[in-house]
Amino acid sequence: MDAVEKANAERQKRWVKDQKVGEGTYAVVYRGRELTTGRKIAIKKIKVGQFKDGLDMSAVREVKYLRELHHPNVIELLDVFSSKTNLNLVLEFLDTDLEMIIKDRSLVFLPADIKSWMAMTFRGLEFCHRNFVLHRDLKPNNLLIASDGQLKLADFGLARDVADPGYKMTCQVITRWYRPPELLFGCRYYSSAVDIWSVGCIFAELMLRTPYLPGESDMDQLKTIFRALGTPTEEEWPGHSKLPDYVSVGQFPRTPLRDLFTAASADTLNLLSKCIIYEPRRRISAREALNHSYFFALPYPTHPSKLPKTAAQTAASSRPLDEVDGNVDLSGSGPGVKAAPPKKLKRKLSGHDLSRNIARKLDFTAT
Amino acid sequence: MIQSSSTSTDISSAPKTPLFHSSTQYRNWRFSAEQLHATRTALNKAAVAAIRATFESDSPGSSSDIHFLDAREEHLLVKLYITKISQLCGHFHFPEEVEATGITYLKRFYLKNTVMDWHPKNVMLTALFLATKTTNHPISLESYTANIPRTNPSDVLDLEFLVAQSLAFEFAVWHAHRALWGMWLDLQDLPQSPPHEELQKIYDTALQHIRTSRLTDVELVYPPSQIALACLSLAHPNITAYWARTKNADVALEAVESIKRMITQDGDVPSVDVVREIDRRLKICKNPEKVVGSKAYLAKRAREEKEAELKRMKKAENVRKAAEQGNPFGEELAERSNLDDDD
Repeated sequence: MDAVEKANAERQKRWVKDQKVGEGTYAVVYRGRELTTGRKIAIKKIKVGQFKDGLDMSAVREVKYLRELHHPNVIELLDVFSSKTNLNLVLEFLDTDLEMIIKDRSLVFLPADIKSWMAMTFRGLEFCHRNFVLHRDLKPNNLLIASDGQLKLADFGLARDVADPGYKMTCQVITRWYRPPELLFGCRYYSSAVDIWSVGCIFAELMLRTPYLPGESDMDQLKTIFRALGTPTEEEWPGHSKLPDYVSVGQFPRTPLRDLFTAASADTLNLLSKCIIYEPRRRISAREALNHSYFFALPYPTHPSKLPKTAAQTAASSRPLDEVDGNVDLSGSGPGVKAAPPKKLKRKLSGHDLSRNIARKLDFTAT
Repeated sequence: MIQSSSTSTDISSAPKTPLFHSSTQYRNWRFSAEQLHATRTALNKAAVAAIRATFESDSPGSSSDIHFLDAREEHLLVKLYITKISQLCGHFHFPEEVEATGITYLKRFYLKNTVMDWHPKNVMLTALFLATKTTNHPISLESYTANIPRTNPSDVLDLEFLVAQSLAFEFAVWHAHRALWGMWLDLQDLPQSPPHEELQKIYDTALQHIRTSRLTDVELVYPPSQIALACLSLAHPNITAYWARTKNADVALEAVESIKRMITQDGDVPSVDVVREIDRRLKICKNPEKVVGSKAYLAKRAREEKEAELKRMKKAENVRKAAEQGNPFGEELAERSNLDDDD
């Protein structure tokens, strides 16, 4: 066997696939673990053999960038190995994503929770942009949440380096609802500002608990944006009417953000408005956003471990407690067992509940 | 100096360390000249031993009069194919980024493999094709191979996975020509910089030196910024010294002397006659297990087939057992040691 094949076989042995958890058009995802430590992992198996142009571009992009980017708020690629004609990415295991959390109606978000998620998103994004990497597909569904509450940017299948001056980039990127107007107008020379627009939409969605700008088609997307933020003037966004796919979709008046986000603080609205400025060059950068007064004002961001969790997450993390509870219930007869209730865990749980008036019930039926 | 402190970077201190220092290139693809030599010699020795054994098992005594390639000859052959990448890139009008990346891939590939197993012609084509994708300049495989004589899509596709694997799927490469570009921009901004036309000439000459440097091992030893500085210095020592002074980087000027030597000494294109002779001998001493249709190739395939067959039978047996136990889904997944890769 060749040295390369041998090294690959060695790597492959480190990881165990346990269960298929999802299947997409180009990949199958398994839950698994590291053989020696038992650490939970996810294996994304990318089918390679089926493409006539060989290794698929999104696989190439994902591997290229995750190999280089190491940051607490970017998903970690632990290993890559191949099996026959499959490419296997070993990723850290993450419980859920921000979309699931937003959609979980039993959860109540405090302003401090939203601030925490936004801080982690901007931190991860600032790191990408500092490395000249554009993500180009930010949406709640691609912001994964670890068991300790840390948020991680994931899915780098559309990522790329910022192009050199004079080189075009495709405008067919970013899921429509999170796509900035310059891309909808067919702009082929753009910057990290495209990701910032997406983050702005996510920010708004966290407050509204429903997508902020849900257009039904690319044309309708522009209309939806302008209906919410007013049709841009030439003064607001110089030159936009000369973009390749510019169309006029009608005149809409500008309504203050305050009308929709009635409960938001002034800082909150100021940062949000700077993320969704029409003129991309004036949009706030990730680094500037991290220094925005929003993040330094009260309430301070919630500690990641204290952020709202979905029922499935809570169930998963409280399983040890569940077993102890069983013991305690049975303990009516024996004082010896009763003497060891999990005080520490209990206190933590009740304190947790007190800080939120709405109980996030432990719903085991869902698992 | 270069080899020190290449330990893994601490995430918490990430903002303080240069971005390059957390790259896979910095961590995994820099070697000393001695290391490079040792790696190539070891690869060559192992390949010769393995191929000799294959020949002997085929018909004893058959390897005694074969004149195998040595590490230097292998390297010379690879070097010639580096020049072919440049020719192809000119033909396709690929950007500099694609060319430089393809060349890096080719060099890295032969730090894990030998030309006696994989001939550089197809590896070169594959490395370049992969580079078009990793640098965001993809073209369809069909139009790629259609423009290269006597080449089929399968010649490229069959090796793509092997090449990617040999690169450890580390596709991002930091190039010296980018660093040079940055220095050029800097120079235009300096108060005592020469007129634009002269600067342009200096830049063009320096870029030529960078292209020459791609024929050498410098990128496997030195960081791109130092290579760029060396090339600028080859083009115009005075202006380089001026630039270094403004950056408080005088120290770097001493370091680049050895790079300059390497570029001037090893930057020559190998003689076609010499390489043709090497290639002629390679036809005889290449690994028969990799030659489609040969006895050894068929034997290896048969071995692999048998293994796969055994695996399939084992799997079928498991399914049958499970069915007998009345559970068509088999035993608990978690109890199974491993999910098979072809399920």
